[in-house]
Amino acid sequence: MKVAIIAANGGMFDAYKVFNIATAAAATDAEVGIFFTFEGLNLIHKEAHKNLPMPPGTEHFQEGFKKANIPPVHELVSMAGELGVKMIACQMTMDVMSLEKEHFIEGIDVGGAVTFLTFAKDADVTLTF
Amino acid sequence: MEITVNKVLDAKGLACPMPIVKTKKEMTTLEPGQVMEIQATDKGSTADIKAWAENTGHQYLGTVEEGSVLKHYLRKASAEEEKPETTHPDIMNLDDLLMKIKGNEKISVLDVREPAEYAFGHIPGSINIPLGELEQRFEELNNAENLHIICRSGNRSDLAAQKLTAKGFKNVKNVVPGMKEWAGPVDKSH
Repeated sequence: MKVAIIAANGGMFDAYKVFNIATAAAATDAEVGIFFTFEGLNLIHKEAHKNLPMPPGTEHFQEGFKKANIPPVHELVSMAGELGVKMIACQMTMDVMSLEKEHFIEGIDVGGAVTFLTFAKDADVTLTF
Repeated sequence: MEITVNKVLDAKGLACPMPIVKTKKEMTTLEPGQVMEIQATDKGSTADIKAWAENTGHQYLGTVEEGSVLKHYLRKASAEEEKPETTHPDIMNLDDLLMKIKGNEKISVLDVREPAEYAFGHIPGSINIPLGELEQRFEELNNAENLHIICRSGNRSDLAAQKLTAKGFKNVKNVVPGMKEWAGPVDKSH
């Protein structure tokens, strides 16, 4: 199985959607690639991914995350790395936002749209978050 | 029900996808054929573990619920198991075995799968000695007549049939393909 994901949003809920599917797929022996673009870059930004905003009006879910023992985003991100999930940061968005590769977590690649398309062209599952 | 396993993974209190991620990691430490028990409280884990096993080729044996804890049982698959290479010459198919069981002749059925596999479904009255213990326990079979050996797919039972024939047992039959296609009566020990 091959899974291609586009992460285009940068909130905490978005992080869980992306990394839950990605780690579950990788643990099921799938080849997984995520393309981070626009606000999605927050999810792998060294500082930003540790303190992602919750959608306005949903702050009360904070407690629910604790109660259900949901791992923090940064743990899921490092787990994704350990499981071999390929993470590609979008060069074009990085240029717009004046971001460099060293602003991001270790082990990511930087690439353009065709880098992702080449990975995704024979994927069995393609998702956009 | 007490089920013998080679490894117990504690995934209690963990939310999706952690039970799956932990299972994946822990599975790499098992030898092919060994059985793992995964303890989880995530209610979605039953469907997930089953689907995970289907995708990765491992064998899902079943789930036991104990209070709020779900105990899932998985057996690690080996590549060669899927394509049995029968060398014990005396084989019997499942329909013939079913007829024999229903008939008057006295026969013995030896199930050589792991105790956890046996627990989730076996032929009523069958004896369970896992293949790995057969060398030490074959004396238990000395009074058995007409031994019919079964496993899941016919591979382990073939090895067992060869071993027992070498020990001097007469009239040993390997039942093929095995429990994975058995449509006759089944007992569960839980």
